[in-house]
Amino acid sequence: MKILLMGNPNVGKSAIFNRLTGAKVIESNYPGTTVDYTRGYMRLDDEDVEVIDVPGTFSLEPKDVAEEVAVKILKENRDSVVVCIIDSTKLERGLYLALEIIEEGYPVVIALNMWDIAKEKSVWIDAKKLERVLGVPVVPTIAVSGEGIRELVSRIKEASPVDIERIVRNLEG
Amino acid sequence: MRKKLSEMDYGEEGVVKSIEGDLRNKVAGMGIRVGVRLKMATKQPIKGPVVVTVDRYSVSLGLGIADGIIVEVEE
Repeated sequence: MKILLMGNPNVGKSAIFNRLTGAKVIESNYPGTTVDYTRGYMRLDDEDVEVIDVPGTFSLEPKDVAEEVAVKILKENRDSVVVCIIDSTKLERGLYLALEIIEEGYPVVIALNMWDIAKEKSVWIDAKKLERVLGVPVVPTIAVSGEGIRELVSRIKEASPVDIERIVRNLEG
Repeated sequence: MRKKLSEMDYGEEGVVKSIEGDLRNKVAGMGIRVGVRLKMATKQPIKGPVVVTVDRYSVSLGLGIADGIIVEVEE
């Protein structure tokens, strides 16, 4: 099992990556491109698990080389749990990507990052309700201070694939 | 009045009415879809990108993309 950190550009993927893995990272370069991504390891239930900080992307239909790499990493690591990181102040476009990843059949955990900044901007998100509707763990986080990271890690094992039709039904009912 | 997103003036606001077919998925990931409200924030000179405010955040779009988005602009 691997853990892929995915999300739009500038949502705090790397900040969360550093929280999860500490400083021991390996800088990698995707063959044929100049897009770098970082890999590291974290302890999960007494096991070392590889964590990949995937380049930021808005969707799974790539528009540039960095997004192509992101999609490639996702497709080549079918056995992964995807931690989808969303900037809480830009919820809609974060959810767009999260839903695409869920639709591909990956187990997903959502981190609503920059929770503090959202609060400052008077953006309130009902994380519990979002969790009920999506059927995946949803955890508010503040990567820079470390808030919510422990809970995020503890809920990785709860992630399991969700049928997108079920989400549609949850929304209607 | 309807106009292309690329033709909107500074500060003009409106609601997206239609998006050219193959662009639709491209911009959906950036929060731009039919029915969404947006405001023109900046236009860069020499055929540069435009920046619009959507749902309290900024999105920059290439002029080619902005040409394919039709907006009902408020007078």
